[in-house]
Amino acid sequence: MEKNHMETIAYFDASHDMPEEVIAAAGFAPYKILGDVRASNDPADRYLPAFFCPAARSIMTEALARSGQWAGIVVAQGCNATNRHYDVWKRHVPTPFLHWFNTPLKDDDAAVRFMKSELWRLMDAIQRHFDVLVTGEMLARANQESNRLKERLRVFAGLRAEKDMTNREYLSVMIKSMTLPKAEAIREIDAAIDTISNRGPFPGDKVKVLLTGSDVTYPELMDQIDEAGFRVVRDDLSLGERYFANRISESGDPVECLARYYLSIPKPATKVGLRQRLAYLEGALAQSGIKAVISQNLKFCEPYAYDAVLVNNALKSRGYRVLHVEREYTAAPDNPLATRLAAFAEMG
Amino acid sequence: MNAEQPTPPAMDPNAPVRVETLPHAGDLRWPMTWYFLTGKLYSLLPWKKTAWTCAGFPIELLLGLDIFPLHPENMATVAAAQKQSRRLIEHAESMGYSRDLCSYCKTNIGAVDTGAPLKHGGIARPDIITCTNTICDTHWKWFQIQAEKLDVPLFVFDCPKIVSGTDDRTIEGYITYMVEQFFDFFDFVKKHTGKKPDIDRMIKAAEQSERLSALWREIYEYRKHVPSPYGMAETSASFFPLVVMPGVRSGIRFFEKILGDIKQRADQGKGTLTGRERYRLMFEGIPFWYRMRFMYDLARYGAVVVYEPYTFSFAPSKPVNLGYMETLRQVARTMMDVPYSYNLEKRIAYFKQAISDYRIDGVILHENLSCRPSSTGMIDLKNALQQECDIPVLIIQCDMNDPRAFSEAQINTRIEGFVELMERRKTHSPSVGLD
Ligand code: SF4
Ligand code: SF4
Repeated sequence: MEKNHMETIAYFDASHDMPEEVIAAAGFAPYKILGDVRASNDPADRYLPAFFCPAARSIMTEALARSGQWAGIVVAQGCNATNRHYDVWKRHVPTPFLHWFNTPLKDDDAAVRFMKSELWRLMDAIQRHFDVLVTGEMLARANQESNRLKERLRVFAGLRAEKDMTNREYLSVMIKSMTLPKAEAIREIDAAIDTISNRGPFPGDKVKVLLTGSDVTYPELMDQIDEAGFRVVRDDLSLGERYFANRISESGDPVECLARYYLSIPKPATKVGLRQRLAYLEGALAQSGIKAVISQNLKFCEPYAYDAVLVNNALKSRGYRVLHVEREYTAAPDNPLATRLAAFAEMG
Repeated sequence: MNAEQPTPPAMDPNAPVRVETLPHAGDLRWPMTWYFLTGKLYSLLPWKKTAWTCAGFPIELLLGLDIFPLHPENMATVAAAQKQSRRLIEHAESMGYSRDLCSYCKTNIGAVDTGAPLKHGGIARPDIITCTNTICDTHWKWFQIQAEKLDVPLFVFDCPKIVSGTDDRTIEGYITYMVEQFFDFFDFVKKHTGKKPDIDRMIKAAEQSERLSALWREIYEYRKHVPSPYGMAETSASFFPLVVMPGVRSGIRFFEKILGDIKQRADQGKGTLTGRERYRLMFEGIPFWYRMRFMYDLARYGAVVVYEPYTFSFAPSKPVNLGYMETLRQVARTMMDVPYSYNLEKRIAYFKQAISDYRIDGVILHENLSCRPSSTGMIDLKNALQQECDIPVLIIQCDMNDPRAFSEAQINTRIEGFVELMERRKTHSPSVGLD
């Protein structure tokens, strides 16, 4: 249980799709379900095809084991895992409150209106089920707190290129940001900023890379990248820059601000906007002077597998070195991955 | 259960099997020829416009805009039937596309990249590309890739997901969002092709399309007869006009003719396996296009697929005689809620109804390695049907367009076990499920 004994509403999303601010405004701690790479997926595999992405199966496994500790669950639309698995969760994951949040695929005006209506529907469902009130003011405060957290994360993430910060340390703070109550997460980020600021400079034997592709949810993968001599100093992951790159506007209707924020974040492969996704990557590379890209695809993760060929070819054609790997979902050393990373390192 | 009461057929795998085809089955060549020639003409004439589109997209909208629909998915099935899909899929994989991606998509990517001819699944570059996410992520991801590669403007319809338990009020809100996108789509089409919606043309296309769908639904009514006068061995080919050319006269003429044949056959008490129909099956999923003989293999056991949600999905009731806005709302409603992508609760209820209406003895579920969305929920579907309908349900893992996934020996063994279970049930032994 969280330290301040706030009740938790857990959520399953395929990217940074879930408006946590609504949960926080209602007085609950939002908790992003990430699954556990060290636990077997057997419980979820009783209900889901084994050729579905293992991250989503792990997320369901965690929900099956832990839903009793949560006040409720929200599933936010992202890819075919979220919308098709929802029905299976509804049958098998015991929870007093299960809500479907239908995020739009695009970011045009119609999509903004639709996102707003879904936000209202979510707020209404939470208010009615938990008998709580969520006012515009409460939501505005939650948006401000979310901005504070994102601001601290930007400072923290900026240290990656300056200081000796491991890939694991970066991901660990990102995970805390999405699983702890927000005030507690901010304290953790500030402590991490203090620690890293006192570290030595970026190590001379490491190569700076940008990491893209499927979301990375466990630190062991980040360790492997480190061990091969690469430091991730930019990325476009949901447990990464996508989560903090933009801020929520604090002027005007907080629901509208939230809708616009979620539709303006760096594009994941689960949303229409391949060119915008590519533009973000190119911008990050240009700003940071990084020359190498690691593109990784979790086995059976279709959205990123579809994008990979075009995105990687485009980056290569602009002179970047790109390694593309399809990876397993495992905490154990992934030997084929290690070999590919070593070969990439040797290429200089 | 069966009127004819045939005895279990001999399981001689080499015994010749005769499946009665309809006298007018061959007339399918006329609408097909019309479709391919017209498509070619539209692709050649600069003032005519074409669009790539996908399953789940309302073709009538395109016809109302005087835009000819080209179907990459359909052409992928052509490639498979012509034994070309494996080569094209492997070509796409050599370009970097993962082995785990949908084989329709990879067939199309391979066909475009190698410049495959029409008869091998090739397809012309369109003026615009339009698709939806209603059935799967693949549709829009695939079309986005190809739009970039071919430098063709893309429009994606975002269909909200009607998950289990979604209430009517929420669905009405989703429909409003869809209708807004129709108007955005019209603007997009005008910008990129100069075409504007012609309401009369659209209404006429919708009426003709409903006529075609109604004929198909009537054909399905006859499939309830015992013995069934029409099986999946034939519907998998003959439903072609529903997919690519609803609203076109030559498809209607073809359906009228085969319906006439079916009626006659039913009146005479004949079926596709006259005197040998012993097991009536339901098949969920896309057939194995490279191995249509599978349906004839079933016939050896006296098994006929009499209902398949896949081909039925293409014949929903279409709106006619509604006002313009109500028509659009109805089109939106249909787009979001096709049997092929029903949520689990609706899917189970739908299957139970079909099992009862069509007097089904067993269900085969194709767990399709290419198609994660349709394969999800199959375990619950299977358990529910076994428990609530007390019939054998078999899950076969395979792929609709990639022959590398088809393991003949394994599938035969499983089908044999499945037939044994159906037989035991017929002779009043309790049924047991297959994993
Ligand atoms: S890893 Fe890929 S397939 Fe799995 S939930 Fe995330 S986006 Fe969807
Ligand atoms: S087979 Fe499945 S994943 Fe592929 S295009 Fe069809 S519905 Fe989509």
